[in-house]
Amino acid sequence: MEQFTTVVGALNVSFLLNLKLFAITLLGAIPLGLVISFGSMCRFTPLRWLTRTVVWIIRGTPLMLQLYIIFFIPGMMLESGSPWPAGSSGRFLAASIMFIINYACYFSEIYRGGIQGVPVGQQEAGLVLGLTRRQIFFKVTLLQMVKRIVPPMGNEFITLVKDTSLANVISVQEIIWAGKAFFKTSHGYSGLMWPIFFTGVYFLAFSGVLTLLFDRLEKKLDYFK
Amino acid sequence: MSLLEVKGIEKRFGDTEVLKDISFSLEEGKALAIIGSSGSGKTTLLRCLNFLEKPDAGTISVRGKCIFDAADPATQRENEVRQKRLHFGLVFQSFNLFPQYTALENVTLAGKLRQDKSQWSAIERQGMELLERMGLGDRSGHYPHQLSGGQQQRVAIARALALQPDVLCFDEPTSALDPELTGEVLKVIRSLAEQDTTMIIVTHEMAFARDVADEVIFMDGGVIVEQGSAKEVIEHPAQERTRQFLARYAES
Ligand SMILES: Nc1ncnc2c1ncn2[C@@H]1O[C@H](COP(=O)(O)OP(=O)(O)OP(=O)(O)O)[C@@H](O)[C@H]1O
Ligand SMILES: [Mg+2]
Repeated sequence: MEQFTTVVGALNVSFLLNLKLFAITLLGAIPLGLVISFGSMCRFTPLRWLTRTVVWIIRGTPLMLQLYIIFFIPGMMLESGSPWPAGSSGRFLAASIMFIINYACYFSEIYRGGIQGVPVGQQEAGLVLGLTRRQIFFKVTLLQMVKRIVPPMGNEFITLVKDTSLANVISVQEIIWAGKAFFKTSHGYSGLMWPIFFTGVYFLAFSGVLTLLFDRLEKKLDYFK
Repeated sequence: MSLLEVKGIEKRFGDTEVLKDISFSLEEGKALAIIGSSGSGKTTLLRCLNFLEKPDAGTISVRGKCIFDAADPATQRENEVRQKRLHFGLVFQSFNLFPQYTALENVTLAGKLRQDKSQWSAIERQGMELLERMGLGDRSGHYPHQLSGGQQQRVAIARALALQPDVLCFDEPTSALDPELTGEVLKVIRSLAEQDTTMIIVTHEMAFARDVADEVIFMDGGVIVEQGSAKEVIEHPAQERTRQFLARYAES
């Protein structure tokens, strides 16, 4: 029993780090994604191509690789050494930035689909009624766009929950890291396999909550088609 | 003086000339039907009147005042265009109702955005009256997806009427409807004509055009081939192209 509470205590603390990374990523990537989606629909061709190339690279390579690159490469290239603050805060900062960029690229494609999925007839109907472009966006298109992006965003949120564990590749001490530690030696115990499997419960519980929330949101938007 | 005067409208998309020298006028309280085969430029003409397309040449005047002149950029400023649009209403082939709003909200949205809150109850009362005129008094709280195509199109007509346009334009208002639903929409348009609403109706319903419209324009290949009183043009067309077009219709 004592063993169990120690392990759960350690996992709780480290899972907070996963949650923090989750929240920070959303806070940054939701607005940044909108900016990127506007870039990828921009009428100025060079900017559109640049944005789409960046999105392609980010979506086309593993997040794990991107974490290695953002954390280690600057230190190798710069004479002054790694630009990241020393210790765990530097690792967390690097992970946060990479997660935000990575997820913003995924979100931007979802937003683009949502915006382009609203029929042009909606905008034209608004124009003919003498509405301004602003009024059309906020009063006509926005909610239809939100309705379209809720299901794919739900998928991304759940993927993000699980992806936060990737931060352990640059030694961010998130939950899987903590579980693994018991396998080696930690808090006076060693050779415990079960904490690693037990971390799955945390992920399951959290993605379960997210699924419920998104189901409710979808139902809320079900009143129109 | 004519309510609407259109002169020398031209419109190109890239290399294709879609409208060539379109001129006509319309008296207040009259209904004008535009007929013509697919691709003849009917929709494009309505879109030009509603400022959804910018003509390459020509002028549009309402009550003697020029509201658009292709040669004069001063008539094309975005803010003014938004005001001038309100001379015209447009009912789309595919309704284009706002799905997240009820029938009544669709009708009142634009009015409410233009007026302050003190006017809202008057706007809602007027919206309800319009829906009742469309035979939809009991459907005001329904969302578009809960309405049949014919009901949706009648809401769209009420929405266009709510801003009291000088000229109400219809682009094939019944083409997207099942045959058994066209009647209810045509009936509404007919009653609008009886109340002397000034209208331009693009339609493939020849009998309807003959009975309801005062004037008919036959378009082909972007030009007006023939125009005149509805009975004349449809029953005794003067041009060979009009005759051929109408004969094809009579067959099918
Ligand atoms: N945005 C556009 N870009 C390029 N060509 C266009 C565009 N809109 C219309 N056209 C062309 O202009 C011509 C006239 O089209 P329009 O839709 O006005 O015809 P219509 O008389 O309304 O036909 P229908 O009876 O099928 O509705 C067609 O050849 C069409 O392909
Ligand atoms: Mg058309």
